[in-house]
Amino acid sequence: MHEPLNPEDRSQSPSPFDSEHLDQRIVRALETAPQPQIRADFAARVAGQLPATRPVSLTPRHYGQYATLIGAVVTLAALVILSAHSTRPSFGLLESLLFAQFIALAVWLSVWRYGLR
Amino acid sequence: MKLSDNLAVLLFLQTDFSFEQIVQDHQAMVFRTLMRLTGSREHIDDLAQEVFLRLYRALPAFRGEALLTTYLYRITVNVAQDEWKRRRRDDRTHISLSDDTSGWEDRLAHPDRNAEQQIEEREFQQAVEEQLQQLSHMERTILVLYHQEERTYEQIAYALGMPIGTIRTHLHRGRKKLREALQQRQTQERRATCTNH
Repeated sequence: MHEPLNPEDRSQSPSPFDSEHLDQRIVRALETAPQPQIRADFAARVAGQLPATRPVSLTPRHYGQYATLIGAVVTLAALVILSAHSTRPSFGLLESLLFAQFIALAVWLSVWRYGLR
Repeated sequence: MKLSDNLAVLLFLQTDFSFEQIVQDHQAMVFRTLMRLTGSREHIDDLAQEVFLRLYRALPAFRGEALLTTYLYRITVNVAQDEWKRRRRDDRTHISLSDDTSGWEDRLAHPDRNAEQQIEEREFQQAVEEQLQQLSHMERTILVLYHQEERTYEQIAYALGMPIGTIRTHLHRGRKKLREALQQRQTQERRATCTNH
């Protein structure tokens, strides 16, 4: 035997149906986007406020690339000087290291240049 | 959408493609998001302008790993956060969306509904707006981005720099708080009605 709920009790404990209905209304309200009034010349005004020159970093500096290039040239020069002053017919440890370094720098530069990274 | 968005940025970076076009394409989104996040029409023009100026300055760093719109949401949220901080500093009362005589809720009225339903719906919308402003900044932002702007969890996570799990938690908590507040409000209204009758 269930006693009927009085109006006050009903107002204090919403039924699951009420709750679900409320959820739906909340979602609907949240999904309703405001419709702002935007001045017709807004975009033009913003564009008019932009600095005359583009942001500095738009022009890439390529400092790393220059450093790699200089490193490769120096390594190659060192290799040539070493081979000119070397008395042995084969590569020593230093020559091998410099050669490997030169190859690595050359590969890095070409990969960077052709965008294969 | 993604392609055209990012293409516009690439064109802008490579050539003299008009930034004005980017503004025109996204201004409605920026305005409505700012309105919902700040809960005000006050300074909305200036805030939107600030968003686009920040976008212009940030475009060189844009690497296309996300949609331009997602990137723009991140900037919009940052600008809204700065506005909240400014308000807190000024400790000023702000003008509610519903204070405006040409309030946007007026335009929500469905032509088929009767006047009473329309008024009720408008009042409910207003109540949601008020309660939305009572939530924390993060909960409000996530609710707006998810429901109004229909962004995915991933996009919101990127825009706010948060893990997806945190986004879900805030979304759930925000909706719960909103529901409880509105339920309480409805209960009070029913009680008042019963007392009057």
